[in-house]
Formats: sequence, C-alpha cells, structure tokens
Amino acid sequence: MTSIANDAAAGWFSPQNRKETIAGLLFIAPALIGFAVFVAGPMAATVVLSLMKYDLFSNPSFVGLANFEAMLDDRRLWKVLGNTAFFAVFAVAGNVGLGVVLAVLLNRNMSKTVQYAYRAAYFFPSLVGLIFVAVIWQFLFQRDIGVINYYLGLVGIEPVRWLSSARNALWSVIILDIWKNVGFAMLIATAGLQSISKDYYDAARVDGSSSLRTFWQITLPLLSPTILFLLTMNTIGAFKVFESIVVLTNGGPGDASRSLVMYIYEQGFKSFNMGYASAISLLLLTITVIGTAIQFALSKRWAFYE
Amino acid sequence: MISRLRTALVYVVLGLGALVMVAPFLWMFTTSFRPVAEAFTLPPRWLPGLGSSLESYRRLLSSDVPIGRFFWNSTVLATTVTLGYVATTTIAGYAFARLRFPFKNALFALLLVSLMVPIQTTLVPLFLLMRWLGLVDSQWSIIVPGLTGAFAPGMSGVFGIFLMRQFFLTLPKELFEAARVDNAGHFRTFWSIAVPLAGPQIAALSVIIFTTTWNDYFMPLVFLNSVDQMVLPVGIMSIRDPVGNSSATSEVIAAVSLSILPVLLVFLVAQRWIIDSFVRAGVKG
Repeated sequence: MTSIANDAAAGWFSPQNRKETIAGLLFIAPALIGFAVFVAGPMAATVVLSLMKYDLFSNPSFVGLANFEAMLDDRRLWKVLGNTAFFAVFAVAGNVGLGVVLAVLLNRNMSKTVQYAYRAAYFFPSLVGLIFVAVIWQFLFQRDIGVINYYLGLVGIEPVRWLSSARNALWSVIILDIWKNVGFAMLIATAGLQSISKDYYDAARVDGSSSLRTFWQITLPLLSPTILFLLTMNTIGAFKVFESIVVLTNGGPGDASRSLVMYIYEQGFKSFNMGYASAISLLLLTITVIGTAIQFALSKRWAFYE
Repeated sequence: MISRLRTALVYVVLGLGALVMVAPFLWMFTTSFRPVAEAFTLPPRWLPGLGSSLESYRRLLSSDVPIGRFFWNSTVLATTVTLGYVATTTIAGYAFARLRFPFKNALFALLLVSLMVPIQTTLVPLFLLMRWLGLVDSQWSIIVPGLTGAFAPGMSGVFGIFLMRQFFLTLPKELFEAARVDNAGHFRTFWSIAVPLAGPQIAALSVIIFTTTWNDYFMPLVFLNSVDQMVLPVGIMSIRDPVGNSSATSEVIAAVSLSILPVLLVFLVAQRWIIDSFVRAGVKG
C-alpha cells in the first residue's frame, strides 16, 4: 500500500509534505511565542538583572557579581533558606507518608459509595484555594479563641502559641500544608496501588505473609516509582511555599517562618532591590533544577519496575 | 476475630481522618451563621442551630467591601484564562502528537524546560515586561500568558501541551489516515475528528486550569493591585485585619464562606468527575 503519509525523504517543504509542515508549525506557534516571550525571555532577563542594581526609578547599573557576594553574607537569606528547607522536609514527608498510608488503608474491599465518600472528603481541601483555607486555619490556631487550643485544653494541655512562637510557627505551616495536600498524594498513590498486579498479593498470601510484611516487602517496592514521583513533585512545590505563610504568620515572629519566595518578593516589590531579588531567584531556580535532575536520575536507577 | 478488630480500627482511623479534613469547613460555615457577638465564643459550635443569623453576611454586603466585584473579576479571569490556555495547548498537543514538522522533538524538549522554571524566579522581569506593555493592573497581564499557553496561574504551560499530547498519542493512526484520504485539511482533521474525541481530556484540563486560576493569589498579588481589579484571594486578604479585630473578622468569615461555596457546590455535584480529572492529569504528569 503506497504511503499517503508524510514522506521524510522528500524534505519538509516538498509539495506533498508542505501542508503538514506548515500546519504543524502554525499549531504550535502560539505556544512557542508564549514560551519565548513569557518564559525564556524573562529567564534570560533574570540572569541579566542579577548582575545589575535596579530600583525601578533610576537607571539600572551593572554591578557584576556583587549581588551574589552579598547573598553569601546575607544572614536573613540563610535563615529563610533554612526555614524553607525545614518546611520542605517535614511537609513532604508528612504528605507523602500519610498519603501512601491512607491510600493503602482505603484500598480494600468496601462499598464503592463509602470509598468515594472518603476519597471526596480527603481530596476536598486540595481543591479549595490555599488563601481561603489558610484564613480559616489562622482562626483555628489562635491562642486564646482558637478551636484547637480549646480542645487541647480539655485534655489538660496548656494553650499552645501556634503562630506567635518562633519555635512553633513553621510547624503550624507544615500542619496546614499536610492537611491540605494529603488528599492529592493519596489519590496519586491510589492510582499507583491499583496498577500493582494482584498476583503478587496472592503469592504473598499463599506464603502466609503477614500484612505488615506484605506492605514492606511487596507494596512499598512496587509503589516506589509513584512514591518517587510524589516526593520530587512535592519537594519542588514545597520550596515555593508562600501563600500559607503570608496568611498564617506573615513570616514571623521576625523571620522565624519566612520562606525563600517571601524574601524574593520582599526584596523585589517592597525594597525594590530588583537586581538582588533576581539573584536570589536564580538560587531558587538552581534548587528546582537540581530537584528535577535528581528525580530524573533516580527514576532511572532506583525505581523497581515490574 | 483479630482481623475484624483490625478492620474496625482501620475504619475508625479513616473516619477520624475524614472528620479532620472536613471540620475546618464545618467550623467556618457555622461561624458565619452565628451572631457576630458570639461568633468566637467557646465551646465552638460545629453545626448551625437555633440562634443562627445572617448578620455577618449582612455586614459584609452592606460594608464597602466590593465582594461582588471580586467574584466578578475572579470569574472573568478564570474563564478567559481557561478558554485560551486549553485552546492553545490542545492544538499544540495535537501537533506534537500527530503532525510531522522540523525540529519537533527539539522544540518539545525546549518546552519541557519550562516545567523547571517556576514563575517565582521570573517574577521581576515579568513584572517589568508587563509594566512596559502597560498591562499592570489589567487582567490581560495574566490572560495573555495564559492565552499563549506559556503558563497559567500556578501551572506551567507545557503541562497542558504534555497532557493533550499524551492523549492524542493514544488515538489510533487509522482515524487520521482516513481523513487524509478524503483530502481534509489539517485543521479540519483536528477540529472535526481530534477535538470531539478529546472531549473528556479537554474537560479535565479545563477543570484543573479553572480551579488553579480561581485559587491563585501570587500572580494577582503582583499584577492586579488596585481594588477594582482584585480577585477573590487578594480581595479577602485586603479586608483581613491581622490583629483579629472582631468587627472586621465577621466580614472575613462571611467572605471566605462565600468564596468557597461555588467550589463546594460544584464538588458535591460532580465530585467523581473532578477527582478523576485530577488523577488523570496527575498520573500522566
């Protein structure tokens, strides 16, 4: 049967291929232009700006690597970086850990309606705007009129300073983040679980394996690609934490809960140190790129495929 | 016996967890219906009962907070961005999946790079660009990037392209070959064959983009500053008094309740479909 499809040997703009080539390029043109103007261009501009001093009102001036040198000595930068990393570790561990556990617990024989009801309940917080739920949680976390401390008080625990204590502030943000996002992690983990062949479980049952052992030695390894995916996606997302902290504590007390993105925003749009803000942005970009690279490398090596 | 106990335990744990998920929303809705003076008295009420009042809503609506305007802005923005973004990424996804043209793979790899560039890192130049274009404080500053499929609030552009491309790759080649025999143009093939088949996928993508745009705070914070351009998340933050002065607080509670209501209603009606949309995207993403 003669091929009616595009014949590569004839070249992209030969009479029979021309229309397809043009159509293809046209179809992707808006996306490419958008990418160039709104992603690649600004990316290049960030690099250029990071070498400048620019405060929006006077002309930008070239300062070479001065911004980067300043970053090394900037105590606040190291503080917010530490906060962000701390948040990332615990929020991601909580999210993914709890998400997987919930997925396993929910993945049993039960009426479909009940199962979907549970899924809906766990997933709903993910859908609601972070700003809105953060406002609600800020009320719940209040020391004196907050609902959480009320119930803790009923079992004899002293009122906790969730938002006003430097020690607790980040933990409150972590709790909010886990509460909001565990549903989504659970859904992804469920999809992963459902792709594991039942044969493994049947074999384990025949061998008389306890369910805890089955979990550790069969479920977890086979779920590892999904878990890896969740870990990296969540970590990259966690480094960008912004809204929840702005609402709950506004970075405080002091800088106790301030995040990297909050600091970038402050430098760029409150202090108008646009060059410096760009330099810090490059730090965030580096972290994101490393994270993605790690995910890519690990997924090739470590994940246990059937 | 042990296993029955264990099953019961699992259900208790799951049930408690579900309660924790839902409790904050119950609290918020109930509090919005309590008379303002008692709204925060303890012990907390979880369900509205006797003595409910619409006082906090009345206060909100009679205050000078333009909550209607916020709703309108959010709706317009989310709808426009969704339409534009879905259109652009669908057609681009189709091209990457089904058409042949030079540099196809290299270009796709290039677009994938954008997944690694969070908008927080390009914020400053983007702001300067919008300022130069005179688009600051106009919804176009967010719509235009969305329209071109560069990014939507909270979502990188190539996500949509990736999703649609994955879908189109699963369609059998024969469908398109048949159209070619009839000498249909490429756009006609796309429009009359590919798009109808992609219905569910397009719908799923739309749900995701609409939701993330509706909820986004960061982009509107930077680009939409004046009060009558504000969208709901930014608007609510603007009326919130951080110190917790109780008179403004009841307006905030009412406003947040109203903001969550649309999502809640849609979710109650279509939750299976919404959940499936997010799973479909998350698994492929």
